[in-house]
Amino acid sequence: MSQFSFLERLSVPTYDNDEYATTGRLFIDHEKCNGCGVCSQICPGKAISIRGEGKAKKAYLDEDFPQCMSCNDCAAICERDALKVVVAYDFGLYYKKLNRGAFAPPRRY
Amino acid sequence: MDETAVVAGETEVATGADWNPVERVILERRSVRKYKDRQVPENVVRRILEAGRFAPSAGNAQPWKFIVIRDRAMLDEMERDVVRLCKVFKFFLDWRTSPLGRSATWLMAQTFIRIKRNQLHPIPFGAITLIAEGKLRAFHGAPTLILLLEDRRGVSRPQVDIGCCGENIVLAAQSMGLGTCWVGFVELLKYGLKWRKRLGIEFPYRICEGICLGYPVGNPQGMIEREVMDVDWYEDGAMRKVRQGGDDVTV
Repeated sequence: MSQFSFLERLSVPTYDNDEYATTGRLFIDHEKCNGCGVCSQICPGKAISIRGEGKAKKAYLDEDFPQCMSCNDCAAICERDALKVVVAYDFGLYYKKLNRGAFAPPRRY
Repeated sequence: MDETAVVAGETEVATGADWNPVERVILERRSVRKYKDRQVPENVVRRILEAGRFAPSAGNAQPWKFIVIRDRAMLDEMERDVVRLCKVFKFFLDWRTSPLGRSATWLMAQTFIRIKRNQLHPIPFGAITLIAEGKLRAFHGAPTLILLLEDRRGVSRPQVDIGCCGENIVLAAQSMGLGTCWVGFVELLKYGLKWRKRLGIEFPYRICEGICLGYPVGNPQGMIEREVMDVDWYEDGAMRKVRQGGDDVTV
């Protein structure tokens, strides 16, 4: 029971095909977010943008294939705990992710 | 040696015990991508390199050499050249924007990804475009860059040794309140003669990795959530699969 089929080994996914590729997904709590924009500055994939004016200024994940690599750096820098990654990126086929589970903080055993 | 070792003998660790300082440094370290202009003091950089010097390596080959670049003008020039190379790659490989046409570029990308499967993984592929478009800075504006050169004559797998050495550097820096970020894109500089000549890099050395160093803006460090990895665990004649969330499944 191999985790890889022969076809999968041969097929290299192209970057923007959302049939089998999923990008990282963020959960952004817009009640906590004050739109300070630090997360969008440090995001390595530049996947977060700040939209809106005044009080409605909030962080949003780009809709059109955001280059989120689910690193959670945004969650680390956010002072209000307003956002975190809930879905990890997976490009499928040759680059599909193996042996990963849900997100969890460091665990004390 | 008059200093006694920190860990002497077998130390008991109680279940659920608090993190010790080393664990804290490891778990709280995050890559920093926004730096203050303030230069890192020279003694601190030297101290950090000492941590790198004492990394484990296969056969004690120590197959590394460090180049420290703290010259703002030079760093800017390196960054410009990385951007230039990224633009070339983008022109030939990014089928979404290339003027060569979508299908021709897509075919070219498919071919080159198969040749360089790790370097052209979708993540760096996206980063190439971001750097070429000027949205992402290759060195993140850090005041100091440490280049890790690999001695190609090293024992068995010198690149693994470079990884150990770099991780020592990065963790030592973290423990001194500095921010670090690995920049693999310095690898692009080895493709041209210019920087190899200017930095005096010749056989057996080769640019392997780079580490940005500087004081972070804000407080980017902290423990985050990360995906749990499955672990296969063999013990007492049985195999357990340690699954997501730590629920064990005995097979």
